[in-house]
Amino acid sequence: MGASLPPKEANLFKLIVKSYETKQYKKGLKAADTILKKFPDHGETLSMKGLTLNCMDRKSEAYELVRQGLKNDLKSHVCWHVYGLLYRSDREYREAIKCYRNALKIDPDNIEILRDLSLLQAQMRDLSGFVETRQQLLTLKSNHRMNWIGFAVAHHLNSNASKAIEILEAYEGTLEDDYPPENEWCEHGEMLLYKISLLEECRFFQKALEELQKKELKIVDKLAYKEQEVLLLVKLGRLEEGEKLYRTLLSMNPDNYRYYEGLQKCVGLYSKNGHYSPDEIDRLDALYKTLGQQYKWSSAVKRIPLDFLQGDKFHEAADNYIRPLLTKGVPSLFSDLSSLYNQLGKADILEQIILEIESSIKTTSQYPGGMEKEPPSTLMWTLFLLAQHYDRRGQYEIALFKINEAIDHTPTVIDLYSVKSRILKHAGDLVAAAAFADEARCMDLADRYVNSECVKRMLQADQVALAEKTAVLFTKDGDQHNNLHDMQCMWYELASAESHFRQGNLGMALKKFLAVEKHYADITEDQFDFHSYCLRKMTLRTYVEMLKFQDQLHSHAYFHKAAAGAIRCYIKLHDSPPKSTAEEDNDMSKLLPSQKKKMRQKQRKAEARAKKEAEEKNEESSAGGISKSGKRQAKPIDPDPRGEKLLQVEDPLLEGTKYLKLLQKNSPDSVETHFLSFELYMRKQRILLAFQAVKQLLRLDAEHPDSHRCLIKFFNKVGSMNAPVTDSEKLICNVLEAERQTISQLHGKSLFETNNSFLEKHEDSLTHRAAFGEMLYILDPSRRSEAVKLIEGSANNLVPRNGALGPIREWTLKDCISVHKLLATVLVDQDAASRWKMRCAELFPYSTYFEGICSSASPNSAFNQIRKSTETGSSNHWVGDHNAESTSNGKLEAFKDLTI
Amino acid sequence: MEGADEGIERVVDSKDLQQQSKAFDKLTDRVEDRQLDSSRVQEAMASIAASAEADWQAMRMREKELAAVKINAADVDIIANELELDKKVAERTLREHKGDAVAAIRHLLR
Repeated sequence: MGASLPPKEANLFKLIVKSYETKQYKKGLKAADTILKKFPDHGETLSMKGLTLNCMDRKSEAYELVRQGLKNDLKSHVCWHVYGLLYRSDREYREAIKCYRNALKIDPDNIEILRDLSLLQAQMRDLSGFVETRQQLLTLKSNHRMNWIGFAVAHHLNSNASKAIEILEAYEGTLEDDYPPENEWCEHGEMLLYKISLLEECRFFQKALEELQKKELKIVDKLAYKEQEVLLLVKLGRLEEGEKLYRTLLSMNPDNYRYYEGLQKCVGLYSKNGHYSPDEIDRLDALYKTLGQQYKWSSAVKRIPLDFLQGDKFHEAADNYIRPLLTKGVPSLFSDLSSLYNQLGKADILEQIILEIESSIKTTSQYPGGMEKEPPSTLMWTLFLLAQHYDRRGQYEIALFKINEAIDHTPTVIDLYSVKSRILKHAGDLVAAAAFADEARCMDLADRYVNSECVKRMLQADQVALAEKTAVLFTKDGDQHNNLHDMQCMWYELASAESHFRQGNLGMALKKFLAVEKHYADITEDQFDFHSYCLRKMTLRTYVEMLKFQDQLHSHAYFHKAAAGAIRCYIKLHDSPPKSTAEEDNDMSKLLPSQKKKMRQKQRKAEARAKKEAEEKNEESSAGGISKSGKRQAKPIDPDPRGEKLLQVEDPLLEGTKYLKLLQKNSPDSVETHFLSFELYMRKQRILLAFQAVKQLLRLDAEHPDSHRCLIKFFNKVGSMNAPVTDSEKLICNVLEAERQTISQLHGKSLFETNNSFLEKHEDSLTHRAAFGEMLYILDPSRRSEAVKLIEGSANNLVPRNGALGPIREWTLKDCISVHKLLATVLVDQDAASRWKMRCAELFPYSTYFEGICSSASPNSAFNQIRKSTETGSSNHWVGDHNAESTSNGKLEAFKDLTI
Repeated sequence: MEGADEGIERVVDSKDLQQQSKAFDKLTDRVEDRQLDSSRVQEAMASIAASAEADWQAMRMREKELAAVKINAADVDIIANELELDKKVAERTLREHKGDAVAAIRHLLR
């Protein structure tokens, strides 16, 4: 390193390296310039200068200098190492690894390069390479603690936990008996807990327990110690000791559900599926009554019995649970009870309980059989709970009646308007839902939660501009776009993207979906610095947990939504490409000269307006920068603020494939993943890949309407293809012939017969009938009227009782909207679509889509009537006026006369 | 009053940002490695066994077997193109199925 420099310059070179390591970049730069004055072609100095500039955000200069340096000194491991570091900082890990390997060819035992290489291998999950590199490091510097730990972790990650244990034990053998010194207690304790978790992973439970108890004094994390001990005791079948320890843990934290679950296991009263015999229920009930006496303040001990109790016992326990919370006015009570609705019969019992309470309080101001008078607020909270109950059971009309009653009772409670908003959303009136969410927001302008809820409802109602203005009230510097993106606010970006998609703004939709995808890419990169940091801090259990989390990162629901949304955008782009400039000119040429002139004037005006808006935005941005920090902060200007460049993608299907592969790898159990895969590969003419998607759909849910659609479409297309000519076509044909035998739906049947069989199995289901009708039309377009008749002939039967839903009919709003779109755009029968719309307007009176009589889309609806009276200055202040002219800071004016 | 409020805000902002920036920077600080007692280390190194040898031999035998399989180059191209796979993956799968293109494709469609 710098061997060819004279002593003075060699020392300066060392200073450059040290300055880089200690992040004193200006000092390093100065030293480099001093050397280069005398030795302007020195490769290693040029490289180090480039690397230093890279850390000062002068990237293009950096690459230029590093490449020049390497060119001047190809046999320098320093130059190759630096080039690798440069690639690494740009996340070009594969290129970086190549550079490191070249550096190691020149200097095989260089510790720094091996260390950097191991970081990249960990990042890329090249686990066997990682083991190899860590082994080299340990061999070269076996007196460094970090090398022992790194080697052990590498083996663990490479599925060799027992080897990792050996290494850790060898490492422990190197320590003094009085180890650790006082300042390393935590680190050593963490290492011990990690080793014990490895023993557990290898199922050496006895040895793990012995080791744990032997090292008790050296383990600082006492909670982790106890939790680990109790897990091992249970696994060894020492249930009495486990029970005792779980009771100790409960005394430390009686609201931890896992401790209750563990205790139940130890006394032989735990069932994974939640089903218990009557005898078991009695014993559980007694257990929780005893625990309830011990932990009076714990809500968990009162709530858990509601999960396993049945019938009259459930009735009594639920009644006792609900009453104090209604008196206290706990708004989250319904959320707390929500999971009970998935159990048979409990929704009916809850309804009975709450209705009895409501009736009793209304007549006597007391609970049924109660002795004390309840405060007036109890009735309001009861109505609040009932509204949410009926909303959950799908009885929106009753739910709205109850919530309105509660609002009449106490119009100043914010939660009431939030719930009303949610009920209206479920009922299909997104505009009214947004209006009431805004009403709730205006009642507490300092609460970001209600602000966010309002923004989301506005986006659901496709009021994008208004949502942006509302969100900006809580963003830093009022710079909404940059701030929400910088803070990785994915819920906002997803809701915004979906709104743009519904409105046909593919550019903005794509921009937002891809922004979410970028957040996940950033989160993946965020782990990089921890590969060395966690080894230093010895937080090994958490580090391994993070790595496993990162491996599953793209399975998260938000990523799925973003990727699926992006793929849908690309498919739409492929099916309906935006007009190119040439095509627009062509359209223009058909116009009369005077019309041409008008068109050009319009265009110039629009361009001028857009330019002005952009300039204003930039001014605001830079002005904000100055006023906040006293100096101008250069913010990167968004090169594509409306996503127009994204629309110009040359091959939308190729772009879509990138995200599809991520979905296939990370969400393989989602029907939507394979449905999109089918749609995309059919368009790409990848017959075998489309077939793979069909196979996956049949594996997941052969009876799903979309699975049926894809099956029929695929084999209809294959059947209409010409006889195979090329080798490729012949091979595909052979594969499909072999695979067709494995599909039971097609055995010995034509596609018509397969479609008919599907209908026979599911003739009571609207969504399945719709799928049948659509496929009948695709197989034979001349039978469209038959398909339409069959869909329209569907019956809306009552849902069987005793489920979570109340006495409602089977059809859901979402399914009915889908059928309407099918009739209007696929089967193209506008008369049928109109009839369907009228029919559904009766079934869903609050739906704006169907313009139901109670929806805000209907001029006669109560919502609009109330709005009129508000506009004429009536005394009714409590229902929000949602005119476009209203200010973004809410309607304080409406509460001018408010008295409390 | 207004000036004071603005001043407070500015101070809080810059202080908070400084703290965040400092904490983040600390993550990648240069730190000296902890050293261990070198006399005990020698004993421990001796106890690390090289069991990789057997694994390596087994892998080498497997690779040898696969290399002996005769395959049709055109099949590799077709599989790689139709299933959008890397050619190496396509070739390996074909070898694992003894050159039977239909069987290889059916495996990849699993």
